[in-house]
Amino acid sequence: MSLSLIVGLMVKLLMFLLLIFAGVMVRQENLMDRVVNLPMGHSLRILVWVFLLMTFILTAIVVVA
Amino acid sequence: MPEIFDASKKPKRVPAGVDRLVKSGKYKNHWGSLVVAPERVRFESQNDGEDIIMLGRRHFITNIGWIALICFAFFVPFFWNEFPLISDVNDNVHLSMTILWYTALVFYGLMSFLLWFYNVYIVTDERLIDVDFFGVLYKNINVTQIRKVEDVNYSQRGIWSSLFNYGDVVIQTASEQRSDEVFGTGGEASPFTFEAVGNPNEVVRIISELMEQEEEEEYEGRIR
Repeated sequence: MSLSLIVGLMVKLLMFLLLIFAGVMVRQENLMDRVVNLPMGHSLRILVWVFLLMTFILTAIVVVA
Repeated sequence: MPEIFDASKKPKRVPAGVDRLVKSGKYKNHWGSLVVAPERVRFESQNDGEDIIMLGRRHFITNIGWIALICFAFFVPFFWNEFPLISDVNDNVHLSMTILWYTALVFYGLMSFLLWFYNVYIVTDERLIDVDFFGVLYKNINVTQIRKVEDVNYSQRGIWSSLFNYGDVVIQTASEQRSDEVFGTGGEASPFTFEAVGNPNEVVRIISELMEQEEEEEYEGRIR
């Protein structure tokens, strides 16, 4: 097995892990916003959703590449 | 029987300190460390007619650690080839590693920001609420009535806290219980420790005024 293959596999696994964490962050932001409802909470929710979407696309790119 | 007098229907009195701070217009920014009489803010267990007097969080300067770390980490991929082993992988894997690195960096920055932004303390005309989030999976919310507060003090330690005027406000309540004994939150002096809050002198003054007001109301029999 070449080094590139092993590192590539690890990167793909870590991207998946990051995608899961991004999902958890979206959920957590939702809970935080429910506990303390601040005026800019809506903007932050959009921000974390955009990040989740971006992570999803990047994970797909990394896995396919 | 006609109602002659109902003490509970007396209009609420705003502490003089709060009134002064509202008039000064200095503490209105929702991103700030101290927001006095914030508008359009609600919290989970807020009662009807309960007004938020003050909302605060850690001083922004306390974020300098993770911001500096991100700034440093931003440049690491520029030097991939300097690291042993990493220089041996092909360009495709290099690109994947760079994507992973920057995505993780954005995740870390976002999470740190959210934890700073939502770790707040709230002072209402009836209660004190300390909302603590630890990481992405754990939260700890302490609530106490103002009439149960026995003592309030603050401490400023170090150059940064003196320079940027922030400090720890420690509130002792009747049912004292160290938070780390129960929740494992790590050595706070009291469950109600507002850590690194901006303008701790104003926070202590307002809580003291609320305590005095609560005592007067108790004496007059107007406790809700």
